[in-house]
This record gives sequence, structure tokens and C-alpha cells, in this order.
Amino acid sequence: MSDEEHHFESKADAGASKTYPQQAGTIRKNGYIVIKGRPCKVVEVSTSKTGKHGHAKCHFVAIDIFTAKKLEDIVPSSHNCDVPHVNRTDYQLIDISEDGFVSLLTDNGSTKDDLRLPTDENMLTQIKDGFADGKDLVVSVMSAMGEEQICALKDIGPK
Amino acid sequence: MQGFPQSGVPGPGPASDGLAQLQATMHAIEVACTSIQMHINPAAAEATILSLCQSPQPYQACQFILGNSKVPNARFQAAAAIRDAAIREWGFLTADDKRSLISFCLCFFMQHASSPEGYVLAKVSSVAAQLMKRGWLDFTAVEKEAFFNQVHQAILGIHGVDVQFIGVNFLESLVSEFSPSTSSAMGLPREFHEQCRRSLEIDNLKMFYCWARDAALCVANRIIESNSLVPEVKVCNAALRLMLQILNWDFRYNNNSTKTSINVFSAGARHDTDSLKRFECTLVQPGPAWRDILISSGHIGWLLSLYAALRHKFSCEGYWLDCPIAVSARKLIVQFCSLTGTIFLSDNGQMHKHHLLQLLSGILDWIDPPDVVSKLIECGKSESEMLDGCRALLSIANVTTPFVFDQLLKSIRPFGTVTLLSSLMCEVVKVLTITNTEEETWSSVARDILLDTWTALLVPLDSTGGNAMLPPEGISAAGNLFTLIVESELKAAASSALTDDVDSDYLHASVSAMDERLSSYALIARAAIDVTIPLLMKLFSERFSRLNQGRGVIDPTETLEEVYSLLLIAGHVLADEGEGETPIVPYAIQTYFADNIEADKHPVIALSSSIIGFAEQSLDPELRASVFSPRLMEAVVWFLARWSLTYLMHPKEIREGNCDSGHGQAHQLQSLQSREVLLSFFGEHNQGKLVLDIVVRVSITTLMSYPGEKDLQVLTCYRLLHALVQQKHICVHLFPLDSWCNLAHAFANEKSLFLLNTAHQRSLAQTLVRSASGLINSEASNLYVRDLTSHMATYLRELSSMNDLKIAAQQPDIILLVSCMLERLRGAASASEPRTQNAIYELGFSVMNPVLVLLEVYKHESAVVYLLLKFVVAWVNGQIAYLEAHETALVVDFCMRLLQLYSSHNIGKISLSLSSSLLSEAKTEKYKDLRALLQLLSSLCSKDLVDFSSDSIETQGTNISQVVCFGLHIVTPLISLDLLKYPKLCHDYFSLLSHLLEVYPETVAQLNGEAFTHVLGTLDFGLHYQDTEVVDMCLRALKALASYHYTETVCGKTGLGLHIAGLKDPGGNLQEGILSRFLRSLLQLLLFEDYSPDLVSSAADALLPLILCEQGLYQRLGNELIERQANLTLRSRLENALQSLTSANQLSSTLDRINYQRFRKNLNNFLIEVRGFLRTK
Repeated sequence: MSDEEHHFESKADAGASKTYPQQAGTIRKNGYIVIKGRPCKVVEVSTSKTGKHGHAKCHFVAIDIFTAKKLEDIVPSSHNCDVPHVNRTDYQLIDISEDGFVSLLTDNGSTKDDLRLPTDENMLTQIKDGFADGKDLVVSVMSAMGEEQICALKDIGPK
Repeated sequence: MQGFPQSGVPGPGPASDGLAQLQATMHAIEVACTSIQMHINPAAAEATILSLCQSPQPYQACQFILGNSKVPNARFQAAAAIRDAAIREWGFLTADDKRSLISFCLCFFMQHASSPEGYVLAKVSSVAAQLMKRGWLDFTAVEKEAFFNQVHQAILGIHGVDVQFIGVNFLESLVSEFSPSTSSAMGLPREFHEQCRRSLEIDNLKMFYCWARDAALCVANRIIESNSLVPEVKVCNAALRLMLQILNWDFRYNNNSTKTSINVFSAGARHDTDSLKRFECTLVQPGPAWRDILISSGHIGWLLSLYAALRHKFSCEGYWLDCPIAVSARKLIVQFCSLTGTIFLSDNGQMHKHHLLQLLSGILDWIDPPDVVSKLIECGKSESEMLDGCRALLSIANVTTPFVFDQLLKSIRPFGTVTLLSSLMCEVVKVLTITNTEEETWSSVARDILLDTWTALLVPLDSTGGNAMLPPEGISAAGNLFTLIVESELKAAASSALTDDVDSDYLHASVSAMDERLSSYALIARAAIDVTIPLLMKLFSERFSRLNQGRGVIDPTETLEEVYSLLLIAGHVLADEGEGETPIVPYAIQTYFADNIEADKHPVIALSSSIIGFAEQSLDPELRASVFSPRLMEAVVWFLARWSLTYLMHPKEIREGNCDSGHGQAHQLQSLQSREVLLSFFGEHNQGKLVLDIVVRVSITTLMSYPGEKDLQVLTCYRLLHALVQQKHICVHLFPLDSWCNLAHAFANEKSLFLLNTAHQRSLAQTLVRSASGLINSEASNLYVRDLTSHMATYLRELSSMNDLKIAAQQPDIILLVSCMLERLRGAASASEPRTQNAIYELGFSVMNPVLVLLEVYKHESAVVYLLLKFVVAWVNGQIAYLEAHETALVVDFCMRLLQLYSSHNIGKISLSLSSSLLSEAKTEKYKDLRALLQLLSSLCSKDLVDFSSDSIETQGTNISQVVCFGLHIVTPLISLDLLKYPKLCHDYFSLLSHLLEVYPETVAQLNGEAFTHVLGTLDFGLHYQDTEVVDMCLRALKALASYHYTETVCGKTGLGLHIAGLKDPGGNLQEGILSRFLRSLLQLLLFEDYSPDLVSSAADALLPLILCEQGLYQRLGNELIERQANLTLRSRLENALQSLTSANQLSSTLDRINYQRFRKNLNNFLIEVRGFLRTK
């Protein structure tokens, strides 16, 4: 049932490929899709036919999960689309450095220091304010197709 | 108040000071009105005008403005202010004030009748009408008569045409004010409006009609004699409009005998049997009292001759086909066609027939001869007269039987009305075929009206359909018409075949319109069934052979689209919509083929077989590729679904149970035989199994060989397959078929079925599980379901025990597969029935742990989380009632772990994204999750109400109320006030909350302080929510809470205990206890805010126990209210009102039913008494 994964194993880093093929007709709203080489989240799917007695095609409207740009694509329903491998990992936030990087604690006890803070003012303040209040924060880092970004934070409270 | 100097010249003496004030007010309003028009600071201007409306007793100023201002808008606003203030202050105006306000308005518009600003006059007259209605029940008959005398004088025409016109107009506003659908609410209960309406209908309506008729009569001659437009036309038009409005009145009290006290809550339904006959049409049934003026007085003859005279004038200046007076006259004539009921003598319908004939002969000129009429319209003549003629036919069809309808015309023409109807429609269809646009043209409007007429005539009134019989001529007319209709539809189909895809929204709207049209076509076809079925047969075979011959040579698209249309038409003709009930073979088809009792000659069998044969060809891959386009397959699947429900494997008991219709014995026997032949041909001992096999194989094909064709698969899953398993007599025959076993096997193993849309997989799982009802016994069913579903549970179990689950689970293909499995599980769970309950329980039980593991792993993958929750909701909902005590304990424990896990993932979580639409999407997902969780809690709650298990759940120490309360405790912190703005979530939340508080207040009271405060905080939010249903639930919850506390404390128990006492907030200040807070906010709401009057009773129910609990605070609040009131008269009114609120009607301090009722009454009176002035600024 899931034979496809073997084809991609070889070129993947850490045993996972960046994208997987999936039939366009099975991609639903809130799923992920690659459009113009960008990982996106689908916000709207509609179907139509090519001519009255033709075959169905899907019209996707999707939003780039990193840049928030809106992208659109039309694919015949029975064809394959690329679906990005979106991974999310939780880390405890240890520090925010002056030069715009965060320091995160990984599961195995080491630290991850290569992640930049988002440049968007609003997101930045949400993270900084929480940290400044001295809360214990866990950040979720979303990674797909070689990019990563903080996508959520959560106050786990004093223990 | 009255006697204001009309001239505006400063009066002598003390008035001059007041006058300066009045002029200042007038000036301010004038400036405000002008600046609104010029768009200069509109907000400030609106505030100025509003302050006039809201100031106490602004009548003098308003009357001054009306009398003196040169700015028409200012006069308009002044009239509006009179209305607002008077309605608000009505309760404490003196009788003289009330009367003088009304006569001021009446005098005003009569004196200014010739003023060019019609809208000011209309406003003043509507204000007069509203005030009159407000005081309707208080005024004595003499007082009313005085007003009406004035109006009657005006309508008689003594003061000239303008006054006559305005008088008629006033009656029009008055009647619309008294008619429930157009009345203004005025903050009064429904009973008031109902009493007014009753009084007007019985005492005045007929009188008004006579006045209008007399006004029209007295000007009509002048209009007919003159050759140009005369001012009298205006009066005549107004009078005709008023008559039409009165005939539109929903007459209720036409039998002056029995129905003296009418229940306002059921008054919406008509009681007479005659109106049951037709739906969706207004019948005019004024009752016998109206016979003299409407029927016997030659009124209709006069009306028809008036219109005939107008027709001759259409060439004159000022008159044309669509001039207002002609339109009103036609509308009135059409309205007269709907006249029915006891107004006619019970003389076997003679009087009614005579009446209709008279009308019909007047209308005939508008529509006959049809070809000439339609040609004239195509050449540019206005179509409105012809359309009104069609509407008149529709009205007549609604009040007659087909036979009477047809006979009407026979007495004056050589043919019947049905023939006329048919030739009229043929003309319309011809024009439609030629123009062929998507836009709305006169011909499409006419077609829809005429189709409605056919439907009105032909729709069977009872299961025997006896009333739908047409005379032989009519039958052949219907046959001709159907032939023409099909031709036209085919032509339209062929020409639209090559147009590209249309906007899908538009398509949906037109599909449902099309569906309605097709059902009307089907009625026409069934009326002439012996011609129409062979016709369809012929058309089908022509197209089938064209497709076969032209394969690969010519482009089949046009033919495909024609077949598509034909399939839809044939589906409608052969079978009825089966939604919700078992459709039976249409009566016409059951009976008409009396002579064809051999199966191979029966037209319906031939037509069905040929279509099924065609469908079977789609199984061949080569033919499928060349002929069976997805769209054509949609029609095929749709047809098979509709047809199967009616004809396939028809069960014996229905066949025999339906034979008792009382027709001629010999005919009945013959038609019975014919039906027997038809049904047994597709029954189990004949072709039934073969056909069923074809149907199943076709559906497998559409699911597996049309990848990505969602529309087609929707039809297959939701219509065709559901139709098969919906009926037990079909289900029984599914299992012996190899094809069905293939489907079940493919479902578990075939990769292409995992590529279906996940929602379709859910539906498929549901279908397959449900088909277990066709197996012999419960053991077999459970075994079958276990086999069918084992792959889902196995997959989830294996996945959840993988070592590197965390990494693997994030791969898109795994996510897809997990989603598929969860949707399938949900489908299976939702199909649970008593005989498969065991297997479904085991299924869910075996994935309990995997579900929790996956919830942890996919905590960031909201789509999967939602599926997990929905599966659990469906499973618990289907199982909970059957579970034994130990099973319940397990399930409850599982649910609580699920809730806790979900909560720990989501509490305090903030999503970050650059995209605002993704953020709002995240919020919506959260809302959907929470809604699912609330549904889960509601399902658990139902265990206390519906329980089929053998022992009590208490034996295992499970207390449902505690469980649900604990669940609520976990869930509520996740529900922010922001999320409650989603209406559905809000509704679910408050219905659960009010249920809990009403049934288990003692459990809620045991919540800890923080949780309790949060829960009640949301209640406060709900009280101010805009949806009345939510507010109502909150009030019920409040009532439950307060009455629980009160009854407990009366018995000397603690009740809500600590929650009641004020708590100290972190700052050390004493906060009020919760009941005090609610008493305060509820009073605030009732006295000062806007709310629907429907809520007053539930508010009373909540207020009473609150007052009883917090009597000290209530006294204090009452005193505060009184002290704040500066005006002494109002103050004493308020004091009295507060006094009687708690003491009138022998109110006691118990919480029983009678006492609640008394308090409701008291509160209603109290609010009517004081709200008016309390809300004034």
C-alpha cells in the first residue's frame, strides 16, 4: 500500500525524502502541497471538468507555509502532485541571543543554535514577550524542504 | 399640546418664549437633515435627530416642525419622532393626548393632500396607522368611529381627488399595520397583534373594502369617458390596490360560529381541509359574509369591464399595458381566481364554476389564441398581460379539480381548458427552443408558471392519485406537449454540449431548478404514459445506436449530452424521489398498461432494460474509454440509484398491501396483473439478481476506474450504494453475489480504493458495514464486520508500535494512510446497529491505545487530530447505550484520558504564522476539535437517559454526571470567549452546560472555585449573545442554578455553599457572590438593554429564584432605581410597579409551577409599565 517510499529513500536526508507524490484528487483542504517548488498549505480546493464530457481537474489555492504567499495550481484529478514532508519538533527555549538566534534544548540534551528568530515584528514580540516574562516556553519548529521556522509556542508553566 | 399656531407667527403672551425654543429645535433638525443629504458630518446629524426621537414628550416640537418647516426631510423626521416617542410613552399618555396625536396626523395629511412631497404624507399616514393600532384595544367604538368618519368623508371624494387618494392610502397603511407579516412590533406581545387583527377582520375589513369599491366606482366612469389621463386614475389605482391588499388578507374568522377563542400559537395552520389540497399557494377564503359584495353584486363583471375599457385606451396618451392602473386591475383579477371556500354556496360547485367561468372569459383575450399572442410579444408587445393570464390559469388550477378545470372553457369554446393550456405551453416551449439563452426571458418565466399549473393539476392528492385523471382530450394534449418538451430539451442539450465548464456555484443553483422542472415534466409524461414511455424508448435507442455506429468516427459529445438529458428525464418519469421514505411505483405506471401483461411487451420493462443494458456496457474498458465519459456515468449512476429504489427486488408485502384502492373491479384486476408483471420481472425470481449484479459491478467500476472523478464517486457512494443497503429486501440479495464480495475484498486490499477521497471511503465503510443487515443472523454479521474492518485496526496497531514512529509518522504517505484508516473507522463506527454492535465495540476497543499514541504523535497535525476525535465521537455515540457497566467504565476512562491528552497539548498554545488566513484556519480547526469534544461529552451524558445494558453502571462506581462534569472542567479552559463566537460551538457548549446545570446542579456545585467561576463567566457571556436560543439556554441554566440553591438552603443545606459567599480577589477586596452578580446583570439586561420579547418568560423563570436567594440585594437595587428617577410621577409609577412585581397575583416565595407562572405575568406587566421611560435618556 505504501510502496512509494522506497523510491525516495536514497536521496533523502535522515531517511526521509523532502516530498512524496500523491494523487491530486486525494489532497484535501488543510493538506500540504508543493506549488512552484514551495511547500504550501491548501486553503481551498475546487473541482471542474475540462469540457462537459472531459475529465476532472482540481484547482488548488494554497499558502506558502514559510512566506505566507498565496499560490495557485490546476492539476488533473488523476495526476500526481508533490506533497512536502512537513516535520514539526518541539524544543524547550533556553535563550534568545542578541544577534537574532535562539538557543533550543533538544530531546537528547544537546542544544540547537542555528535557528534564526522570525523577522516579522508581530511574531517576534510574541516570542520575546513570553520569554521575557520568565515563562517556561516550548517552541514547535516546522521544517519542510530544507527550511525551518518556529510555528507555535506553548507555555508549559512552572513545574 | 394642540392648538399650535400653524402660521408660525409669534403668538401673544407667554407662548413667545416657548416659541423661540421651538424654532431653535426646528432649525437644528433642518440643519441636521440638510447635512445628512450633503454628507457633512452625518454622525453628528444623526445624533441630533436621534435626540429628538429620544427626548421626553417631543410632540409639541414635532408638530411645530410639521406645520412650519420648509424642509421636507425635517417634516419626515418629525413624523418619525412622534411615532417613536408615542409608542415608547404610550403607557402614560393621557387619553386626550393619544386622541389628539392621532387626529393631528389625520388632519395633517388631509390638509396637505395636494403637497408634492408624497413621502412625508405617506410617513404621517403610517404614523397615524401605527398609533391607531397601538391604542386599538383601548379606544371605545365611538372614538374609532370618529376617526373613521373623517377618513370615510375623504374617501367619498367630498374634499376632492387628492384627499380621496390620501384617504385610501391611509387605509392601505392601516391594513398593512394590522396584517401580522407587515406589522411593526412596537414591543408588544403577539397576543396583542392577534387581538387587533381579529378585531379588524371582524369589524372593519369588509367596510374598508366597500369604501374602496365605492371610491373606484365613482371615479371609474370619469376615467372611461375621458380620452386622456385624468387625476382620477390615481384614486382608482389606489382603490384597486387597497382591494387587492384586503383580498390578500389571511382570513381566519370566516366561520362566525365556533372559533371564538383561537389559540395564537397554532393559528398559523389553516384548519379547513380544502387548503390541504395544494401547497405553496395563497387561497383567498373570506367566508360567507363576503358573498354579497364580492360575488352577488356584479362586482367582478364591473372589474372585468373596467379592464376591458382600459385595454381600449392603451393607444391613448398616459395609458399603456404596464401603466399602474392596468397592472393593479390585472392583479386584482388574478387574485379573484384564487377565491374559494365557504364564500360560495354549497350548490355542488355551481356558483364557484360560474364565478371562474366569468373570470376566464375575461382573461381569455390575454392568452388566446396562443400563437398570435406569442408572436406579438416577440415583436415587442409587453409580455405582462400574457404572464398575468398564465398566473390566472395557475390560480384556477389550484382551486379546481382537473376535470372541472377542463370543462370551464368547453361552454364557450370547442375545446377544453387543458387543450388551451397545452397549446399555450407549446408556444412558449417553441419560443424557448429558438431563443435558447441562459438568461431569464419572458418565455422561461411563462414556462415556469405554466409548469406550476400542470403540477397543480396533475400532482396526485392521495396514494390512489384518483384526482389526477384528465379527460381523453387532455391526455393527448399532455402527450403532445411532452413530445415537444423533450425535443426542446434535447436540442438545448446538444447545443450546450460543447460549451466549456460553467461556474460550479451557478451549476448547483441551476441543477436544483432543473430538478424541479423535471419533476413537472414527469407529471405531464405520466398523464399520457402510453405515448410518452414508447417515445422515450425510441429516442434512447436512436441515440444508443448512433453512439455505437459512430464510435471512433464522429465526435460523440452532442449525443452524450442528449443521452445525459434523456437519462434525467426518464429517471423522473419512471420513479419518484426516494428521499426519506420508500418510493412506490408511480400510480400512472401501475395502472395504465392494462393490456400489456406480457413482460416482453411491457413498455416500462423495455425502457428500463434497455437503459440497464446500456449501463452494463460501461463495464467494458474499451467502450468505457470511448463512450462513457464521467458526466455520462454520473447520469447513469443517478438513474440506477433512483430506479433501483423503486423497482429492484420489490418486496412482497408492499406489493400486496397496496391493492385496496377502490376502482372498477375488472380494471383493477387487469392493472394488478400488469403491475405484478412489472414488479416480478425485476424481482428475486426473475431478472432481479442479474440487474443487482450489474448495478454493483457498475459501482465498482466507477470507484476504481474513474480516478479522481469526485462528483461521480459522490453519486456512487452516497446515492447508489446507499440506495442498495438502505432496504433490507435488497440487502439480503447482496451477499450471494460475487460482485459484492469483490467490493468488500477490494475495500480492504485494493490500492485504488485508498485513493478515493477520504470522505468517500468513510461512506463506503458505512455502506459495507450496514449491508450486514442482509445476513442471516447476528453471528454472521459480526463475523463479516470483523473481517471487513480488521485491516484498519491492524494497521493502526502496527503503526503505533513502530520504534521510529515519531519520524515515520510525519511522512506524507503515512499521514494519508492513517487518515484513510481513521475515516474508514469512523464510517464503520457510525454504521453500528444492534446486531453488529459487538464487532464495532471490539473494533474500537482494540484501537483505544493506538488512538492515544497517535494523538500524541500527531499533536501538531490538526487534520489527523480532528479525524481521531471524530472517530471516537462516532464510536462512543453508537456504543454508549449498549455498554455493560465494566465496558462503560473502560470507555469513560479512555475518553477522559483522551480529553486530558488533548488539553495538555493545546492549553496555552499559540500558533505563529505570517499568514493571517492560516492563523484563522488554525482557529477554525480548534473550534472544530472542541465541538467534537463537546459532542463526546454529550454522548456520555446520554448514558443516564438511554441505557440498554443489563446492569446499572453504578455497580462499577461510574457516575456519569461526575464524569461529564470533570470532562467539562478539562474542556472549558480551552474554550476562550473568542472561540464562543463560532455560533455552532456556542450553541453546543451552552446546551451541554444548561443540561448539566438543570439535571445535575449538585455535581456542578462541587467544582473547585476557579473552574466554577470560569464556567459561570461563560454563562454571563452567553446572556449577552445575539442568538436568542443561546440566551434562552443560559437563562434556563441560571434558573436551575438559583432554584437549586434556594431549595437547598430552605431545607437548611449549604446549596452552592462557598460559591455564593463573596470571595476576596487578590487585592483583598470583597467580590460579590455569583448569584448577586447574576441578579444585577439580569436586571440590567431586562430593564436597559435590547432583547427579543420571546425571552421574557425564561428571564422571569431565572429572575424569580435569584430574587428569592438575594432578597437584600434586590431591595437595594430597587431603591437605587427609584432614587435615580428625578421625575416624581414616574418615580411613583416605578415604586408601584416594583411593588406589584413581587406582590401582585398572590405571588408567594415557593418555586412551584403556579408561582413561576404568576411571576411571568407580573414581569411582563412590569416591563410594559416601566421600560418605556427607564430607557429614555
